[in-house]
Amino acid sequence: MKRALWLLALLPACREAPPPGPQKTAAAQRAERRLFDGAPPVIPHQSFGVACISCHNERGLEVAGVGFAPPSPHADTRGMSAISRCTQCHVFRATEALFGANDFDGLRQDLRRGARLYGGAPPVIPHQVFMRENCRACHSGPAAREEVRCSHPERARCVQCHVPATGAPDFARE
Amino acid sequence: MLRPDPDRLLRRDFLKWLGAGTGVVAFSCSDRQEAGRLAGSGAAESDLHWGKAPCRYCGTGCGVEVGVRDGKVLAVRGDTSSPVNKGLLCVKGYHLPAMLYGRDRLLHPQLRQPDGSLRRISWDEALATVAGKYAEALQAHGPGAVGVYGSGQWTVFDGYAALKWCKGGLRSNNLEPNARLCMASAVSGFLAQFQSDEPMGCYEDFEAGDDFVLWGANMAEMHPVLFSRILESKRRRPSVRIVDIATRRTPTSEYADMYVEFRPGTDLALANGILHLLVRENRWSKAFVAENVVFRRGSEDLQQIGYGCFGEQAERYTFEDQAQEASFEDLERFLAGYAPGPVSDITGVPEAQIRALAEIYADYGRGTVSLWCMGVNQHVRGTWMNNLITDLHLLTGKIGRPGANPFSLTGQPSACGTVREVGTTCNRLPADMVVTNDEHRRKAEQIWGLPEGTIPAVPGHHAVDLFRAFARGEVKVLWVQTTNPWVTLPNLQRMQRRPGDGRFLVVSDIYPTPTTDAADLILPAAAWVEREGVFGNSERRTQQWNKLVEPPGEAREDAWQIMQVARRMGMGHLFPWPEEDWHAPMFEEYRSFTLGTGKDLASYAQLQRTRGLLWPVVDGKETRYRYAAGFDPYVKKARGVHFYKAKGYGEKAALWLRPYHPPAESPDAEYPLWLCTGRVLEHWHTGSMTRRVRQLHQAVPEAYVEVNAADAAALGIKDGDRVRLVSRRGSLELGARVDGRGQPPPGSVFVPFFDEHCRINALTLDAMCNISKEPDYKKCAVRLERA
Ligand code: SF4
Repeated sequence: MKRALWLLALLPACREAPPPGPQKTAAAQRAERRLFDGAPPVIPHQSFGVACISCHNERGLEVAGVGFAPPSPHADTRGMSAISRCTQCHVFRATEALFGANDFDGLRQDLRRGARLYGGAPPVIPHQVFMRENCRACHSGPAAREEVRCSHPERARCVQCHVPATGAPDFARE
Repeated sequence: MLRPDPDRLLRRDFLKWLGAGTGVVAFSCSDRQEAGRLAGSGAAESDLHWGKAPCRYCGTGCGVEVGVRDGKVLAVRGDTSSPVNKGLLCVKGYHLPAMLYGRDRLLHPQLRQPDGSLRRISWDEALATVAGKYAEALQAHGPGAVGVYGSGQWTVFDGYAALKWCKGGLRSNNLEPNARLCMASAVSGFLAQFQSDEPMGCYEDFEAGDDFVLWGANMAEMHPVLFSRILESKRRRPSVRIVDIATRRTPTSEYADMYVEFRPGTDLALANGILHLLVRENRWSKAFVAENVVFRRGSEDLQQIGYGCFGEQAERYTFEDQAQEASFEDLERFLAGYAPGPVSDITGVPEAQIRALAEIYADYGRGTVSLWCMGVNQHVRGTWMNNLITDLHLLTGKIGRPGANPFSLTGQPSACGTVREVGTTCNRLPADMVVTNDEHRRKAEQIWGLPEGTIPAVPGHHAVDLFRAFARGEVKVLWVQTTNPWVTLPNLQRMQRRPGDGRFLVVSDIYPTPTTDAADLILPAAAWVEREGVFGNSERRTQQWNKLVEPPGEAREDAWQIMQVARRMGMGHLFPWPEEDWHAPMFEEYRSFTLGTGKDLASYAQLQRTRGLLWPVVDGKETRYRYAAGFDPYVKKARGVHFYKAKGYGEKAALWLRPYHPPAESPDAEYPLWLCTGRVLEHWHTGSMTRRVRQLHQAVPEAYVEVNAADAAALGIKDGDRVRLVSRRGSLELGARVDGRGQPPPGSVFVPFFDEHCRINALTLDAMCNISKEPDYKKCAVRLERA
């Protein structure tokens, strides 16, 4: 019973009573689950006793009565691999209490668009791609935020046109 | 000409939509509002200055990139160019920056007043006070009355400054690190076998090895990123196997191909049981042993050795092992008592599993990597257990090649770099030298430009005895830096102080802790990237970082504090470098100890440029496999290994005969359960840093006791109930976890030690390894009651 209450308290969907159907996560809520933009989010629900990957798969899953489980942005989380232990980086919340106040104010979500060479050119990727290899996780599907939603998710090989901005200096012959 | 400047374009774009220009047309109204709220500092990943540093926490030593802007750390990310972690971190690492910004950071020196309150004082007054107290105690009582207790979380600079000041200035060997509680058994293990500390392998063993045998090491939680490397190997090569030899099921066990559960302390018998089968069935490498191995045995008399925790030994435990020569025939006779039957009776491990383990070590075609950390080191016979694991590799010749090595893991970020290499212990000097050796002392005195005879030849107190001596008043002045002994020492009741006890305790730290509560003078320290530093990780990798932000308030780095006190005591000649530029020259002086010894460190300039280098570094090249032909520049052979540091064994390694001894205290009718203590993934050490990070604290907010379901049912305890745990030394109330993350077998409980409000070390026993003097936090007897 206690566990069930917890679940209700932590599920945003229940608190705000949104219309039924898949919901994207509000930006403020998204930020609240991360120490800074780029840090692994904490898990906003209690354990369902199943493998994380069974809902947070490549495309995400609408779970009846719970909400939409967003896809995993990582390359391959099936089976045994360097990143198969999800709770090595993503932790549950056992309490809302703090040990003490903390004034850390880290990097916020970067809502800018990637730079383009000219109007219709494919934008470069303005963030690290490492651990975010599954572009669709954030850029398409019901959980994607509008400002980063891709208009053509059916073209599966994203990095064919979008390249990561490395910040490297311009090419020049010595 | 089109010259795309991603940075500039990005900024312009950003400004445009922030001003609600065309860029946000596609956004819904609520999105826009949220975006406005979140814009905050307006910085993006690409606007930060990214500096490199090793992670502050565990001995894995992951590389992180630290993102800084306007004097603040705003983010970290795994360093994809670090050979250690290749971009991956664990949850502690990803949450590193918040550790610097807890609101209760110590900002100013504070002096305890007679009424117990703290008064803010100036650095000048603080340093003069420390200098005065040390000078006074030295004059009145001699060098035995002062001490320094440091840390495997010290940077190399802090450790080196402390070493030079203690041994070359105060002329006291009462310098000890908290690593005595953590790595000392590995040190004495390696010294006994190779006459040189630290492993021969490196993390590439995780890709090269076939079988990973974990001896009491919950790597999934304690060395998570290294465990990731093993799991990744398993993904690429399904033939890779993980063997988890443990006294409790942990998250590591879930990934194990074989889980071997033994009764606490009986790992000694299990390892001997494996050796027995290897010898009896002729599955050992005769050629390797003939070429590279000698045999030794030490004192084995339980009565004479004891445990250091009862009776007369409970004040001063100074047992010294006596080595004797032995032979293969001695080994055969010695192992006769460890046949699978009797070993199974002692350990509780089925005979089939003992045979399976022997088969793993015997199969020469498969690379075996043995891994261990606290389970083996915090052990009343920790050195013996270290020896036995390495014996398995020596006997089978599975050593000194990629993917086949005994690999001791370290707990703290610079247990190797600062404690083991600099030698910040009561008996050591840099680069494997000891104070008891005339030549070694002379070399140190020469490098330091000190008169012969400055460094005392008699070792000081080891950590547990140092605090016992402080408790009884023999040590009058003690300075604790970067560690929290009032949470971590075993049998804590003995350490409690009374006001006006005539002792003086100085504590340098970044946050208030139970140790600063016990202090007479508190000094605020600079943390991690608030200062320049060097750490050395488990695989001999020396990693340098630059200062990236200013420390808060008046906080200053530990090494600076020590040098300032030394100056005020007239020992400024020890630190003859300009105040603003001393890191590089100090490192180069320290480095000169290592050159030509096989422990050669890279130059400071090279360390600044690289993501760390594995020593020995000769001609600017690192060494991945020590003692191995083709890898180690000190090995001149064309093939195989050469244990060139072991001069005392004819440049061979020593295989030690080490028997099984029972633990110091075992469960009985009154205290029927085993107590094991340890860590959790989310918290580092005593939690003084990680608990101030919201995400980590909220994940594991307090200590608890893991109870087996059968024991819980018998006692009428349910998951979440408050219970009381009682030992002969203390008692503690805490919440019960039944079938939690770890599952102790019936008859045993587990409690993590990170929680200062729930100090399990009030219950633990101050029994020690007979050789390393490292306490055993893993085995004592307790009773469980409903609270
Ligand atoms: S705590 Fe250890 S494993 Fe985790 S990021 Fe830091 S060094 Fe790596």
